[in-house]
Amino acid sequence: MLEIRYVWEWPVRITHWVNALCVVVLALTGFAIGTPILVAGDGSYVMGWVRFVHYVAAYAFTVSVLARFYWMFAGNHHASWRAFIPWTTAVGRRNFVKMLRYYTFTGKQISYEVGHNPVAALAYAGIFALFVFQIVSGFALYSQYNPGGFMAGLFAPLLNLVGNQWLRLGHHGVMWLLLGFFINHVYSGWLMDVKERNGTMSGIVSGYRFIEPRDL
Amino acid sequence: MSKRIAVDPITRIEGHLRIEAQIEGGKITNAWSSSTAFRGIEAILKGRDPRDAHHFTQRFCGVCTTVHSMASIRAVEDALKIQIPDNARLIRNLIMGIQNVQDHVIHFYHLHALDWVDIVSALSADPAKTSQLAQSISDWPKSSTTYFKAVQGRIQAFVNTGRLGPFQNAYWGHSAYRLPAEANLMAVAHYLEALEWQKEVIKIHAILGSKNPHPQTFLVGGMAIPVDPDSQNALNADKIAYIGKLLKQARLFVEQVYIPDLLAVASFYKDWAAIGGGVGNYLSYGDFPMDNSGSVSSLYFPRGIIMGKDLANLMTVDESKITEYVTNSWYSYAGGDNKGLHPYDGETTPNYNGPKPPYEFLDTNGKYSWVKSPRYNDQPMEVGPLARILVAYVGGNPDVKGVVDFVLGKLGVGAGALFSTLGRTAARGVDALIMARKNEVWLQQLADNMGRGIYETFNKEKWDPATWPKEARGFGFHEAPRGALGHWIRIENQKIANYQAVVPSTWNAGPRDPKGQLGPYESALVGTPIADEQKPLEILRTIHSFDPCLACAVH
Amino acid sequence: MNSEQIPEPISIPEEILQKWEAKGVSRRDFMKFCTAVTATLALPVSFIPQVAAAMDDQRLPVIWVEYQSCSGDSEAFLRANQPTAAEIILDVISLEYAEVVMAAAGHQAEQAKWAAMEKYKGKYLLIVEGSIPTGAGGAYCTVGGESAVDSAKKLIQNAAATITVGTCASFGGIPAAAPNPTGAVSVRELVPGAAIVNLPGCPVNAENLTATIVHFLTFGKLPAVDALGRPKFAYGKRIHDNCERRAHFDAGQYAEDFGDAAQRQGHCLYKLGCKGPETFHNCPTIRYNEGTSWPIMAGHGCIGCSEPGFWDTMTPFYRRLPQVPGFGIEATADKIGLGLVAATAAAFAAHGIASACRKGDAMESDKLKREE
Ligand code: HEM
Ligand code: HEM
Ligand code: NFV
Ligand code: SF4
Ligand code: SF4
Ligand code: F3S
Ligand SMILES: [Mg+2]
Repeated sequence: MLEIRYVWEWPVRITHWVNALCVVVLALTGFAIGTPILVAGDGSYVMGWVRFVHYVAAYAFTVSVLARFYWMFAGNHHASWRAFIPWTTAVGRRNFVKMLRYYTFTGKQISYEVGHNPVAALAYAGIFALFVFQIVSGFALYSQYNPGGFMAGLFAPLLNLVGNQWLRLGHHGVMWLLLGFFINHVYSGWLMDVKERNGTMSGIVSGYRFIEPRDL
Repeated sequence: MSKRIAVDPITRIEGHLRIEAQIEGGKITNAWSSSTAFRGIEAILKGRDPRDAHHFTQRFCGVCTTVHSMASIRAVEDALKIQIPDNARLIRNLIMGIQNVQDHVIHFYHLHALDWVDIVSALSADPAKTSQLAQSISDWPKSSTTYFKAVQGRIQAFVNTGRLGPFQNAYWGHSAYRLPAEANLMAVAHYLEALEWQKEVIKIHAILGSKNPHPQTFLVGGMAIPVDPDSQNALNADKIAYIGKLLKQARLFVEQVYIPDLLAVASFYKDWAAIGGGVGNYLSYGDFPMDNSGSVSSLYFPRGIIMGKDLANLMTVDESKITEYVTNSWYSYAGGDNKGLHPYDGETTPNYNGPKPPYEFLDTNGKYSWVKSPRYNDQPMEVGPLARILVAYVGGNPDVKGVVDFVLGKLGVGAGALFSTLGRTAARGVDALIMARKNEVWLQQLADNMGRGIYETFNKEKWDPATWPKEARGFGFHEAPRGALGHWIRIENQKIANYQAVVPSTWNAGPRDPKGQLGPYESALVGTPIADEQKPLEILRTIHSFDPCLACAVH
Repeated sequence: MNSEQIPEPISIPEEILQKWEAKGVSRRDFMKFCTAVTATLALPVSFIPQVAAAMDDQRLPVIWVEYQSCSGDSEAFLRANQPTAAEIILDVISLEYAEVVMAAAGHQAEQAKWAAMEKYKGKYLLIVEGSIPTGAGGAYCTVGGESAVDSAKKLIQNAAATITVGTCASFGGIPAAAPNPTGAVSVRELVPGAAIVNLPGCPVNAENLTATIVHFLTFGKLPAVDALGRPKFAYGKRIHDNCERRAHFDAGQYAEDFGDAAQRQGHCLYKLGCKGPETFHNCPTIRYNEGTSWPIMAGHGCIGCSEPGFWDTMTPFYRRLPQVPGFGIEATADKIGLGLVAATAAAFAAHGIASACRKGDAMESDKLKREE
């Protein structure tokens, strides 16, 4: 019997979609900051707006990521921080290998999961790390407009250690990594949706997934 | 009795120069020139973007700033076969031209003058007589008795503090100082005026290129400073007028102060027209293109070589005959240290084997300098304003001929007097005068172009590295204030594969070659009289006459 | 207008003015000078009398040494305007040693340096130009036979304070650029913890130098500095945030090529590689050569010449971002990133096709369903 289970609680879903939207907006505006292709006539404020949108999205994104971090401790076990490090348990390791073999066409079995599949979970751990990097490097770059300020003081050691150009290059480069993840992510979601037929895709909207308890 | 002395640091120059000399019977019998500092910028350049190179090379030197940018972009433009727009040529000529004028004046008053002028004796001068003297040699307005009295008062007040600062411990009162007190006072006044003047006229570099030292305006393919009479952010009529004003100020000072002072001082030191000749071979690359053809014949100062002081025989320059030796320099060559390398294949691999600092004397039997030994056809060559002027004089530049004949006539000496310490110092003045006048012509041409609606300053055709060949090589020549400057570049896969600079002061300050031939400084010192080996003022005179720049020489 | 903003009438004591007049400096010039210096230091005008009084003190002994330098900072000093180099050398400080201008040479010059160090121990101001090479046992730079390492340490340790002029002395500069063939270090790296104020710039802006000297004279201490040892009055803001072309940046008006109409009209140089957004310096406000110009005003982007390591981090100078380490010169972050994304997309497209065609990979539950 298929069961319908509530897997993704609302904070997970909301932060997921806020993050997704922000990443898209930040990547678009960030790219436009790095390579201004919009050429303006007199009197416009194109770059000003692009940067403004980037910063607004940056704040929304930061809040959302922090909220998700909070939920890693407050939410259900699918949302827990433990879910992102599958290799810490024997079952997790086994499923991880199983999934990896499936992806690489060396195995036929899909490890059946209620929450994240173990390979995806690992990717999400990496993605959250990249989120943190973007937020830290972004605010470090941002803080430079007012070198005497509190934020600049906070980030000065980082800026002086790494140098603002390398940080900027990193911030720029990670945008591409995130876009690469995006493709991977949507594809894997589609693949699992098709193969697992468990509502992977709709699950992140509704929160519900279809579970065959015997598979667990 | 023979005595070895070391003068280190040689001051009032750029960089770290050390002279060791053997003195016997009141004369120098042997000399060694050494630079004691190395940075390795040629090595730092490897693997970088060739379009960035000029920013790096410009930092060879902050005194002859701009010249290594010029040579560098010319080398890259030669390698990539880039032609620059006419405005870029004129702007470059102006930047180089005013650089030569300003550098020479600073050299004469602030670096060289104290070898001939006894400041302390200026205190006993009669301001009225000084005024008479000044008015007898020039129309320069600052020449009243009150003016010289004020200058003297200022110096007196300074001396009265009992703290002479930069003027302490010098060779004041040395028997080789020969100017009358009045001439000394006049020179001191002009020392101060020149200090004021130099910072004004060099604003031309700021207008055309943001700042001086180290203007930031050169580009491979042209210049960054835009030209547009209808823009407030480009060279427009207003800025042209400002440059014109400064150029006039520059020329008037050279005509009315520098040249008269030079002649006045030289007339007291004519014996120095027989001292300090040196190797007697002169090399000038020529410079200041009069059109955009890139041909040697387009150069205002011609390119050429004079060997063995033979003014009757002007030879052409064959770039492939240039090599650098490191037999006596603290480097090693992969193929052995006794072989000369052409700059395309040049190497900069430091190999210090001298005495461990602190030391008293260098081991001059082995390697003893950070300067390499450039040779042309295996001969040591002197470069600099003297070489430039000599080559132009026999090469038929009418402006140069006129001024040189005028100066020789005023001093009552023949052309042979030019092969000397005094000749070098005089040639520098001639060079400054010629340049100061020529600059105004170039400015006018630039203004004419603007009037005709020609605004182009940059050729972007080859700006994108994707347009470059996989491999390319080129060289850039320039007559820097101190003489013939060459940069050689090899470009591979859009990066610098090798970069070598052979700089005026490398030619002049280099040590011996494997054949034991002395470098120009060394050679010029041999035979120089030394009245007091504790105060070797005469060494300074001859060495300063070359206007040494050791940061340039070693880089 | 707020009454607090109305400046007090400034008066410099009569006897100070008279003293300067006796030295040949007019009242007007002296007032002008004090006002300019006070402004450069970003001090309120009420400080003018204090600045004036400091000028009148016993001249400060100064030792200026050059190591791995190009003398560009010495030259910059000679171009100083507020006050001029001549005024400083004759009236403000007592320049005990400075190789480019001093009359003495050889051991007389050396003797002047060491005598000044002894005589004014703990009281003199040291100015260092150029980096210090630590390689080859110090032999990459010696003066009078002594290594830069040894002489710099002595001079720094005995100074009341040290000012490093230029990026070489402040951060290592060009000699320390990769691969740093001579093991060049900055003054602060050589003697950590010494009282140093860094005045980077390639070369230093003379007005910042004279202002720092005057600050030292006025208050007997060095100005407030940031984490990199740079005085806040000169390095407290980004070029980009004070740039005269900033409006064009915000408006999205950029020069695409040198010499194009936009560049001629003074549009923003961002796309030509300007490093103003990464560089802290007061170039836009004080400019160079008596306020005549500065790099961006002359149509060339900022190359970040006052930032640590700028020869490596700000290059290529005509691109905004540094090269991605390990890739070729043409490989920008965007080209690599785009390649990465394209490769990902291609790989997953292939994976997707392969997966769609794949048979017998279904889950056990699928089988169960079919059996039902
Ligand atoms: C997914 C997250 C983000 C992406 C993909 C992203 C992307 C980018 C990109 C591509 C650039 C252009 C960099 C360059 O070429 O110089 C940029 C600039 C910047 N970003 Fe982000 N960014 C993100 C998050 C953030 C956050 C959280 C902040 C925080 C304030 C931030 C602040 C900045 C700032 C200050 C700049 C420089 C703007 C300027 O110089 O005018 N970014 N971003
Ligand atoms: C069309 C857009 C998207 C869809 C359909 C989608 C779908 C999904 C689905 C189905 C899951 C749950 C899968 C699982 O647990 O294995 C998920 C999780 C996740 N997605 Fe997306 N996603 C989209 C866009 C994005 C974007 C743009 C990002 C960020 C770059 C992103 C980041 C994440 C993260 C970090 C998780 C883990 C969620 C958590 O635990 O908080 N997603 N997404
Ligand atoms: N020698 C030399 Fe230079 C010059 N003039 C350069 O090429 O001084 Ni610094
Ligand atoms: S900081 Fe620049 S100007 Fe100063 S010594 Fe170094 S290279 Fe020369
Ligand atoms: S020119 Fe440079 S510093 Fe000025 S606004 Fe543009 S990017 Fe910023
Ligand atoms: S290159 Fe340097 S001079 Fe100023 S504008 Fe940039 S910091
Ligand atoms: Mg060389």
